Amino acid sequence: MTEPKKVLATFQVNGEPHEVAFLPHKTLLEVLREEMNLTGTKHGCELGECGACTVQIDGKPILSCLMLAVDAVGKDVRTVEGLANGAELSQLQHAFADLGAAQCGYCTPGILMTADALLAENASPTRDEIKQCLAGNLCRCTGSLTIFEAVELAAARCRGEKAEPSKESIYGS
Amino acid sequence: MKPFTYVMPTTLAEAGEAAKKPDTIVKGAGLDLVDRMKERLQTPSQIVNLLPLKTEMAGIAVENGELRIGALTTLTQLEQHPALANRALEGLRHSAASTATPQVRHRATVAGNLLQFTRCWYVRSEAHRCLHGGRGPTCLAMTGDNRYHSVLGWMDCVRVHPSNLAPPLLALGAEYSTVLDGKVRRRKLSDLFPSEPRAQLAEHTLEHGEIVTALHIPVQPEGARSSYCESREKLSHDWATTACAVRLVMSGDTIAAADVVLGAVSPVPRPRPDAAKVLVGKKPSDDLWKKVAELAYAGAVPLSHNAYKLTVGKAIVREALEQAAR
Repeated sequence: MTEPKKVLATFQVNGEPHEVAFLPHKTLLEVLREEMNLTGTKHGCELGECGACTVQIDGKPILSCLMLAVDAVGKDVRTVEGLANGAELSQLQHAFADLGAAQCGYCTPGILMTADALLAENASPTRDEIKQCLAGNLCRCTGSLTIFEAVELAAARCRGEKAEPSKESIYGS
Repeated sequence: MKPFTYVMPTTLAEAGEAAKKPDTIVKGAGLDLVDRMKERLQTPSQIVNLLPLKTEMAGIAVENGELRIGALTTLTQLEQHPALANRALEGLRHSAASTATPQVRHRATVAGNLLQFTRCWYVRSEAHRCLHGGRGPTCLAMTGDNRYHSVLGWMDCVRVHPSNLAPPLLALGAEYSTVLDGKVRRRKLSDLFPSEPRAQLAEHTLEHGEIVTALHIPVQPEGARSSYCESREKLSHDWATTACAVRLVMSGDTIAAADVVLGAVSPVPRPRPDAAKVLVGKKPSDDLWKKVAELAYAGAVPLSHNAYKLTVGKAIVREALEQAAR
């Protein structure tokens, strides 16, 4: 059998063009991590069940483990590396750090990308809307409560409110 | 994944031509396909990607009163479209909205949902050689761990059909259009599924190279209401253990017409006309729902680990009827 040929394509990732040679049977997740060295996006279950590999395509959260990279050419791809503005973390990242809404952190990039898409569409999501939105992201150590609180905190700060995490959230009640 | 040739057609005719080649698979979003290709359960030498044809093959439009849903319409689009925001189509809208996770619904297509492969863990395991697809001598689920398998209408393979859009679409009398060799055909949705779902048959009846282009939902009569309910083990990202779609046409407080379709309990989605006809001419009541639920599961033969499906399934039928009538 002849060796499979790589294809050359330009991806728009986090607002920058990335010219990459890759095998057409590679998933977007594999090309992001292995060809572009954008390792913030995580390999989780590889079955589309955990949400760790979530990135945004044209502003919508999708699973990069179930998308062929070739299908993302010409789309606007955004990964967790695109959230911060240089050294300045986004409000969402700040809120997750302030509240300790991560333990091992493996699921965090996927959760950030899903929540970021929600806040872009809905500046004041209810707790229920946040739950619905994050229903495809599994966290196996922190538990979801602090994560929901962090999204609410970020939403409040994005709206210009001077919100601080409650003591109960940080130290427990 | 095994390497393959990738075809990005610019017209439907081009896609149809490429789809006819041997060892070729046609894909929309490809969520289920990529999953199976990683497991090497599917190793096509060529893939035809329909996504470049989204302009003509995605979207929802009202044509002569009936609803035309493009095959590449995503479940998010289906869930959010104003044409589905009414009692008559609520079953379909709710079914789309409760599928998998938001990330999946943003890409998964309507046709892909109908044509997805069974979730049977023996069939989807490379290590197991079962009768499905002629890989082994017997159905391993029949005597193995069959907690998620069929209780109704199974033959030599007890897989269940995983589509949750199929039951509400069948209840609404939907039809589907395909194209093969440039010829457009339109048939009842029930024709998409094999009437005798044997192990060697696929989950659908499409010929090689045949492409689903759209679904059609006829004008619903005045007083029509639909609902969809399912039981599952997790609130999010799970497949149903039992499901039921109902359409009732109400005339005042009397049921003038009814359809009941079961999902997740048989190798194909199962309309239950004998159960539905009992509803006609009656007024809604829990006694009536109980009777219909019993009839919906008449003839069910549970396997060693899934007798619970009869109890849970009947409760789901009652809930679907109650929601439609409420």
